[in-house]
Amino acid sequence: MTGVGVVSPYGIGLDRLQAGMLSGKCCLSPTKDLYSGFEGSTAQVLELPPLAEDISSRYSRTDQLAVMAAQDAIANSGCDSSAFRESGIMMASTVGGLTEIDAGIAKDPAAWYRRPGGLSRAASYPFAHVADAVGEHFGIRGPRCAISVACASGAMSIALAANMLLDGSARIVLAGGCDPLCPFTLSGFNSLRALDPDPCSPFDQNRKGTNLGEGSAVLILETLAGATARNANVLAVLRGWAMTNDAFHPTAPHKEGNGLADCIRLSMEMAEVSVDDIGYVNAHGTGTPLNDSAEANAYETAFRGRSRPIPVSSTKSYFGHCLGAAGALEAAITIMASRSGTLIPTLRLTNPIESPGVDWLRGEVKRQPLPLAMSASSGFGGSNTVLIFGSGPS
Amino acid sequence: MIPHLPSVTITGIGSVSPHGPLAGLIPLSPLEPTAISAWTTTGHRRAFLVPPFRPADVVPGVKTRRLDRLSVWALIAASLAIKDAGIDLTQVDRSRVAVVFATAFGCVELTEAFYLSAAANGWNQTDPITFPETLASAPASHVSMFHSLRGPNITVSNKYFSGECAMIQAAGLLRHGQADIAIIIAGDALARSTYSWYEEAGLLSPACYHLDPFVEADGFIPSEGVAALVLEPSGRGDVQSSGRSYARMRSGYWAAGGNSAERIGQMLGGSVPSLIICSGNGAPCAISPTADLARESADDGAIVIRAQSFAQGLAGTGALFHLIFGLSSKPSGSSASGPVLLLGTARDNGFAALLLELP
Repeated sequence: MTGVGVVSPYGIGLDRLQAGMLSGKCCLSPTKDLYSGFEGSTAQVLELPPLAEDISSRYSRTDQLAVMAAQDAIANSGCDSSAFRESGIMMASTVGGLTEIDAGIAKDPAAWYRRPGGLSRAASYPFAHVADAVGEHFGIRGPRCAISVACASGAMSIALAANMLLDGSARIVLAGGCDPLCPFTLSGFNSLRALDPDPCSPFDQNRKGTNLGEGSAVLILETLAGATARNANVLAVLRGWAMTNDAFHPTAPHKEGNGLADCIRLSMEMAEVSVDDIGYVNAHGTGTPLNDSAEANAYETAFRGRSRPIPVSSTKSYFGHCLGAAGALEAAITIMASRSGTLIPTLRLTNPIESPGVDWLRGEVKRQPLPLAMSASSGFGGSNTVLIFGSGPS
Repeated sequence: MIPHLPSVTITGIGSVSPHGPLAGLIPLSPLEPTAISAWTTTGHRRAFLVPPFRPADVVPGVKTRRLDRLSVWALIAASLAIKDAGIDLTQVDRSRVAVVFATAFGCVELTEAFYLSAAANGWNQTDPITFPETLASAPASHVSMFHSLRGPNITVSNKYFSGECAMIQAAGLLRHGQADIAIIIAGDALARSTYSWYEEAGLLSPACYHLDPFVEADGFIPSEGVAALVLEPSGRGDVQSSGRSYARMRSGYWAAGGNSAERIGQMLGGSVPSLIICSGNGAPCAISPTADLARESADDGAIVIRAQSFAQGLAGTGALFHLIFGLSSKPSGSSASGPVLLLGTARDNGFAALLLELP
């Protein structure tokens, strides 16, 4: 990893994310205006700088989040965008251009398209458009792909980008995820009774559901040999990654967390590390009753035989669940944790799930060397992705 | 930099198309666009449409109630491809089977339905069963759930080359030891909002409006359907299928720009393709940049199979159908025994190329 770009409810940049989280600031706040009748807690990105008018008319809010995070990642890498001309792009989103359309498009599509800008706004609907927006904006012309695997999307984009590097399809890949708040997804999660009206309490026995947030993160991946050859600043090394599926239910995870446990095991096999080598897990931790208990079971299974409980926290307690961006944002947080040796606690965790193999991080930020840290993501449809980051070349 | 990696083999094919649900290659027969009746149109409108069928008649035991048609077709096409490959899933480690799905629009029909229900009842009264079925990844999830496939499950999209991208990602999973079998699925269902977008953007062929026999002309005829391939590593003794090989995939590359001829030359490594299957998206092969690229990539002896109109009508997800039609129509004998190039170009200078070998 030679660049990390972030757009979060804390603002633009990993530094602002880090400062906000280390201060214990929670970005979740009561929200009423996202659609008529909605009352709940969300975390919004309030400081998205406007793009040029000719661009913003073609880019959805999702696209704009992606472009901003990519811009931040490129700046963070110390190179200008021309260095990425032949790079690959692997961007994730679940919302795509849903922010730009409304029920009118289903009622009378022809009339909707004839509105000013209708065709252009609808053209941003396919989730592939987020990858195109990043590519077009920065003149990147290498292999370009978008993925959408529900809430594991952002993490999986990083795993697939790593595969592209192994393939030799590209020397550098920009990978990440982006998703904004929009009535469609908020209503969907509300219909599933998956939302906590108050700020969520992941892994607490009294948890009531999740909250939605918005944001984006883009990471710059290149082979270690390539990064070393050009004297790049290596922020972290992706040591292992794996993808599995529960094959169980459209929305519920497997109760025992079997798919996630397998994914953790496979990622550690790839990284050639043992259960004792992992110092921290940034969990999926949505705060829903089903996810958190399944996830706790997965950690019990995957880290069985470890000499001490595995430290785990959910950073969704700070700014909610950013859907297709979540896995990429949490990868950025895991890199930050690994580099700074900080174990970030879960907020509002007062009565944790009973899980003897897990050290539920809560209260104060802990500081300790963190050579290897893991980020776990899961999603509707049973998708799981696990990433293991090391703090530097090894 | 074009990688040369261990080849992977296509061992099974399934599809749901205007030809109906089929296992194996699709017999070449004339195909006419049919009249749209699923929604009210302002006059006669045509497209290449999948005829109605009962999924359980094709795949016994499959339950498809309340699924988007795209999910249903993905499930049926994948099941037919697995059957065509002769794979007995009870004898396979299903944690080692991956699903890679490519779509441009995802489950757009249920997305329309969700919007309409929100308009009628309010955003606070939407349907909890419909919502997860609107996700673009829902079709791939249903394939994994129905067959208990617990390997990587990925849904990808690219404006022009979603199908090619899925094939390359799937091959990568096999090459990197992340799966032993990959089911690749690609396609889309045609919805009112999509067809209307094409029409308002002036992209439709005159053949969409006329009852006359179909004549290829400017514009395109929108299509719907899903194709599936089973991919396994080549040359392994423990392959899970019956051992049939439709084609071996040696390498693949796609990009949003750059010098396509140079890249393809690197991929060919001095060999000359004997067969080029044009997967030109949007324009007939003969008048698209694909033809120029094909001429640059091969000598005069190469046989060029032009894109099928039906497959062209799938926005970026037609590559699997292009390949299936190409394999169905390849000449027999030694004339097509060399490398095969599946080749597509996009209007914005993008391209995709897959290098294959026929058995």
